[in-house]
Amino acid sequence: RPQVVSHAQQALNYTLFDCKWVPRSARLLCLGSAARGSGLLQLYELRGGRLALLREIEKAKPLKCGTFGATSLQQRYFATGDFGGNLNIWNLEAPEIPVYSVKGHKEIINSIDGVGGLGIGEGAPEIVTGSRDGTVKVWDPRQKDTPVANMEPVQGESKRDCWTVAFGNAYNQEERVVCAGYDNGDIKLFDLKTMSLRWETNIKNGVCSVEFDRKDVNMNKLVATSLEGKFHVFDMRTQHPTKGFASVSEKVQKSTIWQVRHLPQNRDIFMTSGGAGSLHLWKYEYPSQRSKKDSEGAEMGVAGSLSLLQNVTLSTQPISSLDWSPDKKGLCVCGAFDQTVRVLIVTKLNKV
Amino acid sequence: MPVWLREYRWRQTASAVYLSLPVRGLRVTPANIFCTDQYLKVSIPPFIFEAILYAPIDDTNSTAKIGNGIIFFTLYKKEAAVWDSLTLANANKEKLQYLRENAVLKAHEKAKEETEAKKVTKQEHKKYALEATMKLEEAERKRIEDLKEKERQKVTKELELWKKQQDAAEKQKRVQKEGELHQEVEQLKEKKKEKINKILPNEGTSETRIKVTKGCRGSYSMFSENLKEEQLPAPRSAATIKINFTSRVFPTALRESRVAEEEEWLHKQTEARRTVSADLSELEDLKEEEKNPDWLKDKGNKMFATGNYLAAVNAYNLAVRLNNKLPPLYLNRAACHLKLRNLHKAIEDSSKALELLTPPVPDNENARVKAYVRRGTAFCQLELYTEGLQDYEAALKIDPKNKNIEKDAEKIRHLIQGTTQDS
Repeated sequence: RPQVVSHAQQALNYTLFDCKWVPRSARLLCLGSAARGSGLLQLYELRGGRLALLREIEKAKPLKCGTFGATSLQQRYFATGDFGGNLNIWNLEAPEIPVYSVKGHKEIINSIDGVGGLGIGEGAPEIVTGSRDGTVKVWDPRQKDTPVANMEPVQGESKRDCWTVAFGNAYNQEERVVCAGYDNGDIKLFDLKTMSLRWETNIKNGVCSVEFDRKDVNMNKLVATSLEGKFHVFDMRTQHPTKGFASVSEKVQKSTIWQVRHLPQNRDIFMTSGGAGSLHLWKYEYPSQRSKKDSEGAEMGVAGSLSLLQNVTLSTQPISSLDWSPDKKGLCVCGAFDQTVRVLIVTKLNKV
Repeated sequence: MPVWLREYRWRQTASAVYLSLPVRGLRVTPANIFCTDQYLKVSIPPFIFEAILYAPIDDTNSTAKIGNGIIFFTLYKKEAAVWDSLTLANANKEKLQYLRENAVLKAHEKAKEETEAKKVTKQEHKKYALEATMKLEEAERKRIEDLKEKERQKVTKELELWKKQQDAAEKQKRVQKEGELHQEVEQLKEKKKEKINKILPNEGTSETRIKVTKGCRGSYSMFSENLKEEQLPAPRSAATIKINFTSRVFPTALRESRVAEEEEWLHKQTEARRTVSADLSELEDLKEEEKNPDWLKDKGNKMFATGNYLAAVNAYNLAVRLNNKLPPLYLNRAACHLKLRNLHKAIEDSSKALELLTPPVPDNENARVKAYVRRGTAFCQLELYTEGLQDYEAALKIDPKNKNIEKDAEKIRHLIQGTTQDS
């Protein structure tokens, strides 16, 4: 069985909202909100069994989320969304002035994702942000001020908070989808090639986190986690005209599942982090037949099954952010609301 | 009277005595045999056999074999000597009794000692078992700890190795890039030299200078990026997708466990708005919108505004019949009655409105002020000035900043003082 081994941890003096590995290195970024109401970005390096602080950058507004997804491996610019609705892309070597900046939303940007960078996926690099103002916007760093796609509520419709966004299906230069989860339980799948809503559903609980198992392949699986300790795994290969995508769901304790992250080296293993400070490692098993015909002859997907590989409780506070290292299998970082960032190693993932 | 068994046979060796006692037809159990070091008794009521032995024997090791109608005793002597006879010859009654009692006592003591010994051994066994399990568990725990520790160390080493690799790779890359950069710069220089050489003969026009930038990250990436940009597609043409949300009344996030509560709350709200008492026969004549108390209230307001007070009252009446729990209906009807000088009715309606406007919260402040003012006016017009003043003061308490109410209250006070002075 895979074991979760705690490798290093660091106590911080600010609220940590997101932590990400810097690609191709043993460094990680932590971002959050300092007590004085400003944003903090810290760069740590893993040395021995400790984290050494390399750099600390302070910004005007508290930072909520960030991604390396849309930059090249040489540049490694970091895109962040903050509490004021601003999207900024920073060059960490010269962080005084952002490389790209736009006041994208009227309210806090809850979630951000990038695609097209890091040698993963094809097509133009793009960043998607989801905000409390109910809109989801896609940005191209080459185009200033206006988003290249805007998913907003119809005129007069009362808005719901968008809590999470994710890119997927970027297997060639034209195809791309964005999946967004909202606080009223809605999950919407937008196709950027046709600029239309491809699928929507409601999972009866506010959606905390969505992620495709791989951004750069024909969309295979989507995991959506929600309040009340539930999460759903959708099989995205077969879309039925009325029933949508087949799914399997699990309930884990009673606390919110804040994040889901797939292992970059194996797309059927993912980790969920919970509101009770716990981490669960899951494996998805495909069914013998992934699709079958229903009574009218339309293709319908068949969901597989989930098995819990390991489960560990690290903290009493929710673990709000989680990131696997793309370079070392099993190395991951998680940040919790008890103001600590922990580096963990999950062993024996080869034998799963 | 016990029956003595006297038939027995015995023989002896130097160390043991063999006694056989026939007990024809009797069932013998070990409980019937009682033996101490100098006394032997077999008692199978009503039969009894008793022997005070010649010399002491080792009663713990001696045995009795219960056979078919016969008991065979093997008694080991304490002292290896030859006995003259099995029993002591000169045994008088007293001695016998004494010996018997002694024997019994001795047996008791022995039994006690045995139980004590047993207890002690049991305790020791338990302790030993406990310690053994503890040791085992400890060993198990240690083993797991060791495993974990080993894993951790292994993993740490791997990590360090990987890190070193990364650093080495980066350094290499950097060196490579710098090398490439210098090469490119050299190439450009060469080209430029050629160009300049070409231009110079013609005329010294534009002399472009190359900025030889240092081999820092930004510049070489600029070179590589220029190449890459040509491969990337252009930014998407901007578009908007309009979406609808699954409707939700509450601004909070949806939780399954709360759905039942929320449904109940909404249900109660709609109940409060729906028709309370419905008189079916009359209501059939009405159109759909005329059955809605809110619509009727609006109608009444409009008629009040145009001055058609009677019609307004009618509208409010119907609305009240449909739903008698809406305070605004009573308030507005009170206003109409005031205008119509139906003062008693005005007072009634204002009072009803105030009743419905409990509990007094900031939300229904305005409504309550209106109610008090209207009732106060009605009282004053009926010349019940004290009551009127009371209402005006209540209104002032809710809304102290309203100048009109203050003025009117002052007026009433003067009136009251005026009348009391007169009378």
